[in-house]
Amino acid sequence: MRNLIKQSLRRTAWIARITFLEAIRQRFFAFLILLSAALVVSSVSFRFLDFGHGELKFVADFGFGGVFFFGSILTLVMTAQLFFAEIENRTALTLLAKPVSRWEFLAGKFTGVWAVLGIFIFTLTFILGLVMWGRHQELVALAEAAGRVPPDLSISGVAAYALLQWLRLGVIAAMVLAISSVARSFLFAIVVGAMAVLAGQLQWIAQETLLKDKDLGVVYQSFLWLITRVIPNLQQFNIGDALALDVSSVTNGAVWAASLSGCIYIIVLLVLAGLGFRRREI
Amino acid sequence: MVRWLTVLLVASAIFVAGCFAENSWRLVRTSIPEMGRKQIEPTLGQGVLLGILGGLRTVIADGTWLRSYVAWEKRDRAACEGLMRTACALDPRARYFWENTGYVMGYDMAHWEIRRRGGYAKVSQEIQDGLFKSYARKGLEIFEDGAKHTGGNPGILISAGQMAEIKLKDNLLAASYYKRATESANAPWFSYFLCARSLWEGGQKKESYAWYRKQWLEKLKGVGDSSPDDLEHLRYMEAELSLPVLQRIPRQTWEK
Amino acid sequence: MSVDLAITVQGLTKDFRVGLAGHKLRAVDNLSLNIPRGQVYGLLGPNGCGKSTTLKIILGLVPATAGKVSILGFNSATSEARRRTGFLPEAPYFHKFLTGRELVSYYARLSGVAEGDLKSAVEAALELTAMTEAGSRTIGTYSKGMLQRIGLAQAIVHQPELVILDEPTAGVDPVGAAAIGRMILAMRAQGKTVVLCSHLLGQVEQVCDRVAIMDNGKLVLEGRVDEVLARRDRQVISATDLTAPAWTAAEAALLAHGAKDVSISHPRRSLEELFRELVKGSRDA
Repeated sequence: MRNLIKQSLRRTAWIARITFLEAIRQRFFAFLILLSAALVVSSVSFRFLDFGHGELKFVADFGFGGVFFFGSILTLVMTAQLFFAEIENRTALTLLAKPVSRWEFLAGKFTGVWAVLGIFIFTLTFILGLVMWGRHQELVALAEAAGRVPPDLSISGVAAYALLQWLRLGVIAAMVLAISSVARSFLFAIVVGAMAVLAGQLQWIAQETLLKDKDLGVVYQSFLWLITRVIPNLQQFNIGDALALDVSSVTNGAVWAASLSGCIYIIVLLVLAGLGFRRREI
Repeated sequence: MVRWLTVLLVASAIFVAGCFAENSWRLVRTSIPEMGRKQIEPTLGQGVLLGILGGLRTVIADGTWLRSYVAWEKRDRAACEGLMRTACALDPRARYFWENTGYVMGYDMAHWEIRRRGGYAKVSQEIQDGLFKSYARKGLEIFEDGAKHTGGNPGILISAGQMAEIKLKDNLLAASYYKRATESANAPWFSYFLCARSLWEGGQKKESYAWYRKQWLEKLKGVGDSSPDDLEHLRYMEAELSLPVLQRIPRQTWEK
Repeated sequence: MSVDLAITVQGLTKDFRVGLAGHKLRAVDNLSLNIPRGQVYGLLGPNGCGKSTTLKIILGLVPATAGKVSILGFNSATSEARRRTGFLPEAPYFHKFLTGRELVSYYARLSGVAEGDLKSAVEAALELTAMTEAGSRTIGTYSKGMLQRIGLAQAIVHQPELVILDEPTAGVDPVGAAAIGRMILAMRAQGKTVVLCSHLLGQVEQVCDRVAIMDNGKLVLEGRVDEVLARRDRQVISATDLTAPAWTAAEAALLAHGAKDVSISHPRRSLEELFRELVKGSRDA
């Protein structure tokens, strides 16, 4: 049994490795990572457009926003593309004719994509951290010279943000895989995936209404309850500003709770993908 | 049978994931500035959707604010109000947006409306006063919202007090705002004086002195350069109220 | 179930649902086959006759609507069956950024070849498919024939008992096709069972021991190649230096003994044989 698991993990790791190598060579990945890096680096130059925020908050929002936006697009397109490339080029045919289970295939695809997304997130967050740290040093010197209170910056908060965003992109990748496993075309998977991401980002509205408004009718309450169970809440990972600039506003255990929730979503969505893919004709 | 069992298991797994997400959201939501959904509705589709989705909220709020200036220059009340409210809703922790939206609503828009109706010569003074008060109240609502979202920012409360004083001519209402400002941890020194002056001018002279004296003895006496100025104001009040010497604040060693 | 059978197919039926209305399209209709071990077995038929679907069902890539398929005694959908099977799909496509050697290693690992045996297994597969030298080049630089051969290498790298080849010579020139034919015969010599799906009837005839012909999802003929090709109602007399008088005398003798439709002609070699003779020495590399 132990040997079987070891063999299975080995096959999954090899599929992940090839997926990673294929993804990292894509021009789309290179283009988006360069574009996002340019956005992050240029955020300091755009700070004159800011009104009434702490300067670091503007820089952070600019950088976090870029990572969020381009990361979402990258995940959506890359996951669907890598999945359908296997089906349409019929490499899946060769692969699944080997003693590789469909679960291993999906797990390998997910791991490979997630690893590339990790490179994307951690590279950009590292650049953003450097930009923010550099500007923070200047602002601290200026504040000390003027006798003002210097702004706060938590580098570990930036790292925690990177981890949460990585999980968020993992949830999106698993969601796109679940959709792709039953979708017949790449375009369909992209369109439905984009709508699912949109719904996930807006889920908090239903969640807030459910938590706050106590005078809802039974039908409406049941409807809200149902959609808050079915649609993943992607907004729960967007606490970058607070983690980096105002750690005191982050409730104890919030990062852990969001991480756990992200992991559970990934597992559940991958199980769904596996069930959808189980009887798919290759 | 197996099929139904699978459906049941998947549904249970999704349910569990949803429960964990709800628990996580309860902890996380305090770190995310709450967005005023109703305020955003009119400007949805004008580029703010991304902000609602969670990214670039500050940047989009800034962009929206810049666009509101164009509407302000054209004196387009509806567009200006919509965009300014959107900026506030997108980034509700920024004092700047609340304060300036309140100012524009309370001070500028009544003038725009009078001009729209034909100008100062054409609109009767009574209607003009009505418009000034009506827009000032709208401005105060914005300040109230802003204070709520910024944890009772004293700057916003002082702005509200000024609006109540200047536009509504309601000194007691102004005093209540100033008083709330003094209750903030980082209340500016002049907020105490503003509160006392408004109470005084609102006719509550004894209450004003009693409150100001208490604040001075408990909070202001030992701190800041303003302490002598506040005492000077208190001495003026004591003289106006003709208080006996024993009821007055004892003379300070440093007092001129 | 006989242990001498590599594949047994019993009453296999596959229906596809097409269109929005979900009309039923029967691709394979109650097919039964027994493919013996250690032979080269040809599966023939026109396009759309159901042979590719049959192969996919055998490999567990498509579920059957009805019927049973087993490979070497194992249910074909299990990984035990696939562990013992090698497969080369029609017009294979591989990741272009990998070298041939990396690709074969990748598939060897997926097939469960132990790390200790990996190098020798990969080199043996490359050698059998004449890809040892080209193995260091990336797949993006390969010709069609080389792609087929590297595809064959990945199919046999884990020493499967059964090798299934779907159109292995499609798009390959006759020299390459002949080389693939030789590789198939080499695999048979190693005791492997080879199932060959091809349109090149000449090649099938040369390398296959048995053939099955399908049409409209049904099996229309099955048997040993020499048996199914032999025309029992006709005989051929072959001779050299036959003069015209000798032929006339022979014809008269045959007619006198009751023979009918007597004719004379020169035996022909196939165009493939002629082509191979003319371009001898040219290699696809």
